[in-house]
This record gives sequence, structure tokens and C-alpha cells, in this order.
Amino acid sequence: MPSAGLRLVVATALAVAAMGRMPAAGRTAPLRVVATTEDLASIARDVGGDRVAVVALAKGYQDPHQVDPKPSFILEVSRADLLIAVGRDLEIGWLPALLASSRNGKVQVGAPGYLDASLNVRILEIPTGQITRAMGDVHPQGNPHYWLDPANGRRIAQAIRDKLGRLAPADRAHFDERYSAFDQRLAAAEVRWDRMMAPFKGRKLVTYHRSWPNFMERFGLDVIGYVEPKPGIPAPPAHILDLIGEMKRHAVTIIVVEPYWSLRTPQAIASQTNGQALVLAPSVGGAKEVTDYVQLFDYNVGLLAAALKAARGGV
Amino acid sequence: MDFGLDPAILQFLAAPVAASLIIVGIHAYLGLHVVERGVIFVDLSLAQIASLGATIAVLVPTLGGEPHSAGVYWMSLLFTLVGALIFAFVKSHRAKIPQEAIIGITYAVASAAVIVVMSKAPGEAEHLRDMLVGNILSVQWSEVWLTAAVYSVIAAFHYVFRRRFLEISIHPVEARARGVSVRFWDFLFYASFGLVVTRSVAIAGVLLVFCYLIVPSVAGMLFASRIGPRLSIAWAMGAFVSMLGMYFSVVFDLPTGATIVCTFGVVLTVMAVARQLLLGRL
Repeated sequence: MPSAGLRLVVATALAVAAMGRMPAAGRTAPLRVVATTEDLASIARDVGGDRVAVVALAKGYQDPHQVDPKPSFILEVSRADLLIAVGRDLEIGWLPALLASSRNGKVQVGAPGYLDASLNVRILEIPTGQITRAMGDVHPQGNPHYWLDPANGRRIAQAIRDKLGRLAPADRAHFDERYSAFDQRLAAAEVRWDRMMAPFKGRKLVTYHRSWPNFMERFGLDVIGYVEPKPGIPAPPAHILDLIGEMKRHAVTIIVVEPYWSLRTPQAIASQTNGQALVLAPSVGGAKEVTDYVQLFDYNVGLLAAALKAARGGV
Repeated sequence: MDFGLDPAILQFLAAPVAASLIIVGIHAYLGLHVVERGVIFVDLSLAQIASLGATIAVLVPTLGGEPHSAGVYWMSLLFTLVGALIFAFVKSHRAKIPQEAIIGITYAVASAAVIVVMSKAPGEAEHLRDMLVGNILSVQWSEVWLTAAVYSVIAAFHYVFRRRFLEISIHPVEARARGVSVRFWDFLFYASFGLVVTRSVAIAGVLLVFCYLIVPSVAGMLFASRIGPRLSIAWAMGAFVSMLGMYFSVVFDLPTGATIVCTFGVVLTVMAVARQLLLGRL
């Protein structure tokens, strides 16, 4: 069958023709920043101000584990001066191929234009000692949903400030100033959130996936179980029964669910436990009104505090 | 909306375009056999068997444990060959049970087995599926070259034995009557087919590979009955739709694989309507 070879020749010709047109590397003022999630993009905008042009790849209502790359992603990454990733294997299903396709040497892993935002944050659930399969669901690098603690948001902002300062030394003072403003705004908001959540310290709840350990630790809440320990793989019936039993024993009524999971199982459990499935936003953009990092907590803290307050009346 | 292509995107599309044309080249031909044999879903079934092998291999630490290691590849290949054996064997039993039923059952069981195996895996397994199923947009040149080499060998093999392969696909009863070992040749067919499908799925994903296999050859059947013209139409249609789908994907910024699949559906519908209109006029 000669056709496969023929087609290859055509394809090669096409490819060579395309190679000739490289994008002009215009070093204009704002740094092009690509963030893998909207949370990182929001913080980068806060710190970078008008000295950066930020785009986010995964939308906040998408599961950042599973992103279907679009042509514009390759284009954005290929033109980026800085790529900010969540790291901890969160984007392992799609980012490595995207980086390779972009052929942008500046933002490859380890290059100056690559920032793994997780390097100086507080990571939970890092397994210690030898990892064996008997341990069950284990992320060797720890839980990647670390941005859901404002203290980590501040550390991410510091890392971005330092990185931007190295990439654009002339604007370092600008980034310092913007970082301080972000830091103050976040600190003021934290006082507000802590006040709202203070009455509920030590309360127990259940979450769909392990996306919330940092959030729950920050506000002193106790997660006693998960609906689907392995997302996408239906939990065995015994697990659901155990979970319902645990919830009844501890009078737990709230099941926190990420917007990209079906509510069917959580609602079935909720109906057994006289509880409710509460959809919170795990990322900026996860709900319509959540358009930046501070609003992410405003939204989640508001909903959760209201639900916990209502639940207390019922117990 | 700008309907022209950003020139910068072209250099990134070159590898996906090359990959899709290579896949069209071999799949449109294999699709002809598959449609003739009436085993439409055999590729989904074989792909699922291969992914079961890969999943098991990833979870066995001695085989490498990395989704792209050699051990995983050989394991999925081994599973594919076993699948080919099953299909070749099942067909030669001229029983009341249609082969398509066996293929469907194999598909369902293999898919479910993947889920069961993954449920026993440590945390990383949740991303395993994404890593086993490719995305045509992210294909790298090294993969394109390797695939071209593998497919050329398989294509040469099929070209040399083209009469025999066509005979067992289209007239198996007559072939057996003349003393041809249909079971042996069936195994060779399914084995080479499984080899191709496993690689293609790793590059382009299950849905897209299914379309490349079936849609062009159905398009060919709409307008021609002889093998030569059917193949020509299938190749032309497959190549055209690949390009058109990629164009839509860029212009409207949609996920590439899914866009090509939908474009296949639209173009096939247009071709079917055109055929009706032409026949009506005659």
C-alpha cells in the first residue's frame, strides 16, 4: 500500500512549509504569563498588575486533573515568558504534552520561565517512608489542592513576585508594591473569614474528593470521609455504607462537592443522613461570582458558614 | 470572528496533521475490511483490551510502573494479540451467535476490568486513563516518525498479501472451500489490526480512531462498489475531513479530537444527502 508513504511526504512538505514562519519574538513591555489554573492567574494578576498579561488554561469549573487541550493553549504556551503550574502532579495528564508541543524553551520544566507554585507552600498529606500500594490512595507528592489555604495563597504570591522580579528586574519595585497591597487585602479578608468560621471550629464534614484538606485545616474543620476516594471510579458499596454509618454516628450532615462531579451519589447519601450536598468552588471561576482569589474564599466561607449554622439548628 | 489561520499555529499543527494523514492512510484501508466483515466495533474492543494490558502493567512495579515504559507497551501488545486470537477463533465457529456480540461483550468486560484494576491502584491511577489515551493535538514528531515506520511495515505486509486478505474478508466461505486456513489469516489480520489500533489510540484517542476506521470506508461505499474507487474516496474523504476538522478546531478554539469527530459526522451526512439527490435526479 503505497499511500501511507505518499501521505507522509505530503505531510512532511506541509510541516516544512509551516516551520518557515516562526512567531516574531517581540519583547514588548508586559510579560506574557500563562497559568495552568485561574487561581494562579488571579494571584499573578494581583502581583503583576499592568506589567503582565495573564491567561489561565484550565477553567475554574473544570477538573484541573483532566483538561482537553485546545489549539489556543499551544499558542499561548508557545508565546509565554512565564508558565506557572500548580505542580504536585496535578496537571500530569495534560501539561507535559502541551509543554512539549509548544516548543518554547523559555518555559520548559527547570527553565527560568517555569514556576512550580508548590515549591514553598505548605503541602499536606505527603506520605512519609516507603510508599506501598497497601496504603491505598496516595499522592507521592502530597495533596495538590494547596491553594485553598490563604496562607498558601500568600506564599504563591511571594513566589510569583520573586519570579517576576527576576524576569523583569526593572519592574521589581512595582511587583513588591503590588505584592504588599495583595498581602494587606488578603490579611484583612482573613480576619473576616476567621470571624465567620470561628463558631464552627472542630465541626465534622464529608467531602467528595480530597480537594479540601488545606481549606478545612485552615478553618479548623474535620473531614471524616470521602464520597469517592478515587474520582471517576465508583466507590464500592461497602464504602458508601461505612460513610453513611460514620456520618450518622458523628451527626455529620454536610457533603462538600466540587462542581464537576455528579451530585447523584452525594445526594443519595445526604437523603440517608438527613444532610445536604453543598457545592463549593475549588477554584476561581468555579462559580459565576468568584472572579478572583479573595472572592474564592468569600464565596466558600459564606456558603459553608451558612450551611453549618443551619445544620447546627437541626442537630 | 477571524476565519483565517494564525500563521503561528501552523507550525504546531504540522505534527498533528502528519499524524492524522498517516492514520487515515492505514485506517481507511483497514476500515474497508472491518466493514466488509461486519465487525464494526472490533477496534474499540481491541483498544480496550490493549488498555487493560497497559493498566495491569502500570500497576505491576516489576514491569516499570511508568505509563510510557517499554514493559507497559509489551504488555498491551501481548493483550492485543490474545484479543486477536479470541476474535480469529470465535469467527471460525460458525455458530448462531454473531461475532459482533462477542466483540461487544469483550469490550464491556475489558472496560469494566480496567475500572476494577484501577480501583486497586494507588492514587496516581486516576490519571492513568488520560495518559493511555492520546490527544492528537499533543502528538510529537518522534511519535509521528515511529508510527510512520510501524505502519509502513504493516502496510507493506498487507499490500503483499492483499488478495488473500481481501478474499478472507469478503468471501471467507469460498476461501475455506479452496483450502485456505481462514483462521490463521484471520489471526494475522486481527493481530496487525490490533497493532495499528493500539498505536493510533495512544496518539489520537479512542473516538477519533474509531471514526478514522469506519467513516471514510462508509463514505467510499456510498459512491462506489469496487475496492479501488472505494479506497480512493475513503482516503480523500479522510484526509479532507482531518484538515477541515483541524481548521474548525483552530478557528473556533475547540478540543481538536472531538471537533474532527463531529466534522466526520457532518461531512458524511452531507455526502449521504448528496448521493440521494444525485440518485433522485437519475
